[in-house]
Amino acid sequence: MQELIQRLVEAFGPSGKEDQVRDIVRGEIEPYVDEISVSPLGGLHAIVNPGGGTKIMVAAHMDEIGVIISHVDGNGFARFHKIGGVFPQTLVGHRVRFEGDVTGVIGAEASVEIGDAPKLAEAFIDFGASSVAECPVRVGDLGAFTRPFVKLGNRYVAKSLDDRVGVAVAIEAAKRLRNSPNEVQFAFTTQEEVGLRGARTSAYGLDPDVGIALDVTRTGDTPKGIKMAIELGGGPAIKVRDSGSLSDPRVVDLMVRRAEAAHIPYQLEVLQAGTTDATAIQLTRAGVPVGVISIPCRYIHTPSEMVDAGDVENSVKLLVEILKAPVTLDRE
Amino acid sequence: MRPEDATLSLLKELIELPGLSGYEGPVQRRMHAEWEPLSDEIRVGRIGSLYARKRGSGQEPRKSVMLAAHMDAIGMMVSELVEGFIRVAPIGGLDPRVLPGQPVIVHGRRELPGIVVQPPDHNLPDDLSRKPIPLKYLLVDVGLPDPARLVRIGDLISFAQPPIELGEDVLSGHSLDNRASLVAITECLRELGQRDHEWDVLAVATVQEEETFAGAYAAGFELKPSIAIAVDVTFARGPGLPEHKTFKFGKGPANGWGPNIHPGIYSAIEEAAKRVEIPLTREVLPVHSGTDAFPLQIAGEGIPTGLISIPLKYMHTPVEVVSIKDVQRTGRLLAEVVAGLAADFMDTLTWD
Repeated sequence: MQELIQRLVEAFGPSGKEDQVRDIVRGEIEPYVDEISVSPLGGLHAIVNPGGGTKIMVAAHMDEIGVIISHVDGNGFARFHKIGGVFPQTLVGHRVRFEGDVTGVIGAEASVEIGDAPKLAEAFIDFGASSVAECPVRVGDLGAFTRPFVKLGNRYVAKSLDDRVGVAVAIEAAKRLRNSPNEVQFAFTTQEEVGLRGARTSAYGLDPDVGIALDVTRTGDTPKGIKMAIELGGGPAIKVRDSGSLSDPRVVDLMVRRAEAAHIPYQLEVLQAGTTDATAIQLTRAGVPVGVISIPCRYIHTPSEMVDAGDVENSVKLLVEILKAPVTLDRE
Repeated sequence: MRPEDATLSLLKELIELPGLSGYEGPVQRRMHAEWEPLSDEIRVGRIGSLYARKRGSGQEPRKSVMLAAHMDAIGMMVSELVEGFIRVAPIGGLDPRVLPGQPVIVHGRRELPGIVVQPPDHNLPDDLSRKPIPLKYLLVDVGLPDPARLVRIGDLISFAQPPIELGEDVLSGHSLDNRASLVAITECLRELGQRDHEWDVLAVATVQEEETFAGAYAAGFELKPSIAIAVDVTFARGPGLPEHKTFKFGKGPANGWGPNIHPGIYSAIEEAAKRVEIPLTREVLPVHSGTDAFPLQIAGEGIPTGLISIPLKYMHTPVEVVSIKDVQRTGRLLAEVVAGLAADFMDTLTWD
């Protein structure tokens, strides 16, 4: 899986420009699913066993955070807005890439004290140009942070592991699953980082009975970190709630039962800041019972996100355990 | 029994049931038993809301009015186990200032009584000394050396403060937001059992209002009512509170007004209140009303929506206070609104 993850995280795909990622996903998953289509918002729907059993939507978002050019000045410096939750402390000195293999570096105005993070309005991108004509980008162009993938011990470090690692888990699960008594709707969604938009419309179109999102979650295992009972290497996190969604208790129970039956380590997750595609799926049509398999991840929304290879493998195993047997939710 | 006593006893029973957002089972089952004899069809929606339909006398296809009150309550969830104590995450908008010293129930492998405690002052960061303690530092003590045997991350913690009857026809307790409105809708259904109404009535107890509004989004989409009225609580007046944002306690409900509210529904409620001489105050809601009226308005193709609110003191604390008379007035007002809906009411909802 490492090779697949590396290809996915190094692909370019800020919210709204997920084409490169979608091409990789399609190439990987197409031989293992029965139907494949692209949604009006650019999401990829890959269906296993259409028409059979409980419809389970499995969502992982392809997009990543990034920047959008808002102005280019006479000296060729570009100003930008953020796409999704970009932190000011990750700006200065970082590199951003645009379509057509264009790279720029982020600088800040001198009014920003050394040691302080600039406000977005105080930062700019330098493309090595000295005029508007030389500047290789124009207003509206989308960029994403760039950083090579590395493996540290048993951990993967890269930009956009949020949520390419979820995408990789879904692809790998499809490969191992081959078939399912359920109708499994893999949905590789778009525009999650800017408001869960692709999942909202995909869920409306797919009209699932159950929704499962695959995404990263925060951990409480770093020095003086947040108070949260999730650690890297402790297994996939089964989400109970976050700030946007309440997992359906029946889905949580199902995940816990399947994990325990297959001796897969897991952690229970209560996340107090952040959310996933499950929030949008839950509110679709007449409501959809949802759950989330979260991959614990340190330094989320920085260019060096970190996940544990064992957690990734166990996330795949757990997803396969859930999908390979019939899923029914007892009515309360 | 005085009617006030019947209202009071149902409300007391309801607030003693847990039913935190996302886990409304206990209150949903109780409301099912209450509404089944008062309705013609009753079922549970896809994500747990309760739908009861009482058919009207008009010709099919009949219009329908949804009366929606959320049945979920605020509370806490186990977020971490530390040295024999439980750390908590909020469910809904908790006020941490009133939590220390509160009795709670931790819903672990069995129900465990517990108390919310704050750490000693000297264990807190300097800037918090002698100040209200934020939730992330509060702990729950269940008096067990190793609670991990019985408690896991994600278990629910509900308030255990018993209801207290105050003064005359006044009740104090947790979860009166919004169980008081469930009782008002119940009173409405009872009254409609005695009188004619042309429209179908959809009594709905929604889930997850305090967190996601999922129940109302789903109910609006699934049931597609012609119009909807959300029933919730609002802020009662008290010393030091701004008059323009609060409502006299025990002096009748409030009628929501603003972009979230259809003016025609507002007027129907106002006219009904005049007919039965129920005092009613206009509640100005310039933005999101913070109630199920918001998701209902934009569910499906959009639903003309109104909002009736019962004034409540000390909202989102374990000692909320409500006037039983206001609960009854709200029930009577709802019944009058429903009974007043003529077959051609929708034709009057024009924007011109």
